[in-house]
Amino acid sequence: MKTLLSILCILLVFSGCSSPYVENNTVEEIAPVTFWSLNQGEGGKFKITTLVPPVTDEKKRLFTLNVDLLKQGKKEFNLKFYRELKNGQLRMLIINEKLAKKEIISLIDTILSDPDVSPRLFLVLVRGSFEDFLEEERKVQKNLDYYLYRMFRHYERRNQGEMSIVNLHEFMEKVYSPYSDPVLPIFKADKDNFTYEGTALFNENKYVGLFNKREDQMFQLIANDHYLKNLPIPHLNVSLGQVRSKVHMQVDDQFKTLNIHVKLKGRIDEYRGHRNILDRSEMNRMTHDIESYLQRETAGLVKETQRLKIEPLEVGAHTLSPLVHPMTRREWLDHYEKMKVHVKYSVKIEPLSL
Amino acid sequence: MSSRFRLFDRTAVMGSGYIFAMVNRMQMLYYVLILPKHLVHPYMMAGILGVGVLSQINLLILGKYLTSNYFVLGYRGFVQLFSEKMVRFFAFLGIFFILIKVIVTTLGYVEIVHQFMFPSMKTSWLIFVLMASGFYIASQGMEKTIRLSIISFLATIWVILVYIPYFLPPISQTHHLYPLVPGEVSLHSWYGLLMVWSALSGPEYIVCLGPWIGPKEKILRGMSIGNALSVFEYLVLFVACLLYYGSPYLQKISFPVVNMIRYLQSPVFERVDLILISLNMIYFLYLIALFLLCLYGAIRIVAGRINIKTNRKGFLGSVAAVFICMLIINGWYWREGEELNLWVTLQLWLGAITYLLVPSVLAVAIKWKRGQS
Repeated sequence: MKTLLSILCILLVFSGCSSPYVENNTVEEIAPVTFWSLNQGEGGKFKITTLVPPVTDEKKRLFTLNVDLLKQGKKEFNLKFYRELKNGQLRMLIINEKLAKKEIISLIDTILSDPDVSPRLFLVLVRGSFEDFLEEERKVQKNLDYYLYRMFRHYERRNQGEMSIVNLHEFMEKVYSPYSDPVLPIFKADKDNFTYEGTALFNENKYVGLFNKREDQMFQLIANDHYLKNLPIPHLNVSLGQVRSKVHMQVDDQFKTLNIHVKLKGRIDEYRGHRNILDRSEMNRMTHDIESYLQRETAGLVKETQRLKIEPLEVGAHTLSPLVHPMTRREWLDHYEKMKVHVKYSVKIEPLSL
Repeated sequence: MSSRFRLFDRTAVMGSGYIFAMVNRMQMLYYVLILPKHLVHPYMMAGILGVGVLSQINLLILGKYLTSNYFVLGYRGFVQLFSEKMVRFFAFLGIFFILIKVIVTTLGYVEIVHQFMFPSMKTSWLIFVLMASGFYIASQGMEKTIRLSIISFLATIWVILVYIPYFLPPISQTHHLYPLVPGEVSLHSWYGLLMVWSALSGPEYIVCLGPWIGPKEKILRGMSIGNALSVFEYLVLFVACLLYYGSPYLQKISFPVVNMIRYLQSPVFERVDLILISLNMIYFLYLIALFLLCLYGAIRIVAGRINIKTNRKGFLGSVAAVFICMLIINGWYWREGEELNLWVTLQLWLGAITYLLVPSVLAVAIKWKRGQS
């Protein structure tokens, strides 16, 4: 009995003399960063920036590293700083637009294959210099990174139509899905501001364009959230609130025309025009104006996706049915590109009341 | 000391509840975790159902033996049915089947733990911990080990509720379930079906547990419910994976089920996957212990020591041998990251073959014996 046990022990000793568990997660000795900001560096390198959160009573520190490989950043960081970097709390990946144009999928793959990183990591594109923003803002706002994360989380949770918020899994699922293309939120950053710019569009995994703030509203209504807390239409001097949409997309059998019927329900939040909207016929005319405005805008949005030959609106998904074998992505996009688009809005507005 | 070490004593007979739990957990072992990746297409839902029905028919055939008098007698029943020489030959084969099954299950589980929980840990330590706990459970004796089935079932069955969010809108995408009809049936699809069949294998090992379970009228009912529940769980897992990934993406993921759970977040504990992986250990350990006991029994039969009392030395020796085999395979032949490596493929075929042959061979033998007498 004893001999057998000792044989076992000897075996184990031979199988490895080092400590079996080399991870060390003592809080005072680690730096659990919450975001990586990636930018183009000099000579084909990456520039990685992050804020080190304070564990004890100390100041946050900004680190910028020039590396060839993403994960090299972790190593360089450890060699430079007295705490070990850990990715377990990574919540945001902020990628510069210029870098995204060159490559995005290899970056995301690297992050995806790390078991420490949650697939709920938020992906964000940035136009301008996020580094400058960090540099300035962290003097004013102590918990900057945390509040940024809370902002994304806030808009993600209820899908209230303010922003397109996309996480790692959603992005990858759409990259592989033949009938939909991924989108990412894009922000503009400079020394003083970090502002939502709209939705960045991808063709499978290539960054190809964006919807600006105005187009983005239509995008939220017909594809992303189907809800807008606030829809200002300056052109008609009106602002709608709590807008909920119901979208019916129908493609005919020959794939020649696409009918989009959007049922919209909302209320007037604000009106600064000259119509007396308390009057019913005036109100009807007003509704009609809103309808034709939205139709124009939406048709423009769909045309833009046709021009770029991409599918952020997931029109193709509406052609799928349980019993028909689907066509390939390329075939579908060839049809989609040439499709005639009819957009119809039925707007129902609760009258302004006190 | 060794006189009190009795592994194969019998003081009570375990009813259909234990059989149900045992069959169900046996069928949820390891393969189900990698299965969705190989089924891929939505129409394989029908495949799972179809193979589930076949498995039920197979259990009916197995029931022929389980309701006969030979079964209750255990080893002596086998000897009556076949000759002693044949039984020794079968036991000899069985050693290899069980050995491969234990090895693949343990190493597969260790690989998952290594990849998701302790990437920096040496795998031999993980194997050691698993084998040591398996040995401890098994050394409590066959009866107590079988009793553990209900506990391991109750401790892990609720995990199925965790998959509910994957069926609800923000995560699920309904169009991933289309089309439901196959376009062309490729070799890959047939391989997927084989995999389902092999994943459902395991209940054939109940033939080794004759003296401990009964009454014989209730065995088949327990097995059938267990099988039905497994098929249901397979479906839930597969559909959840489809809704979450969609077919094209699903193909690229090595451990779809575990990766899928990583998406969940609880406000209390963020990495839900770690809890669930650890929970799986309960029934993995239980089954490893059960198979170690079967293995030891088979070794005793082959060595012709069936009538000699069990002793701790012999059992520890055979467990240590299994452990060493595992270390060798893990060190030299197990290619991590490639989830269908040589050994997993081997077990895939062996499991399918034993599940297909054991019930029918026994049924034929009984018929033949009856014709003789």
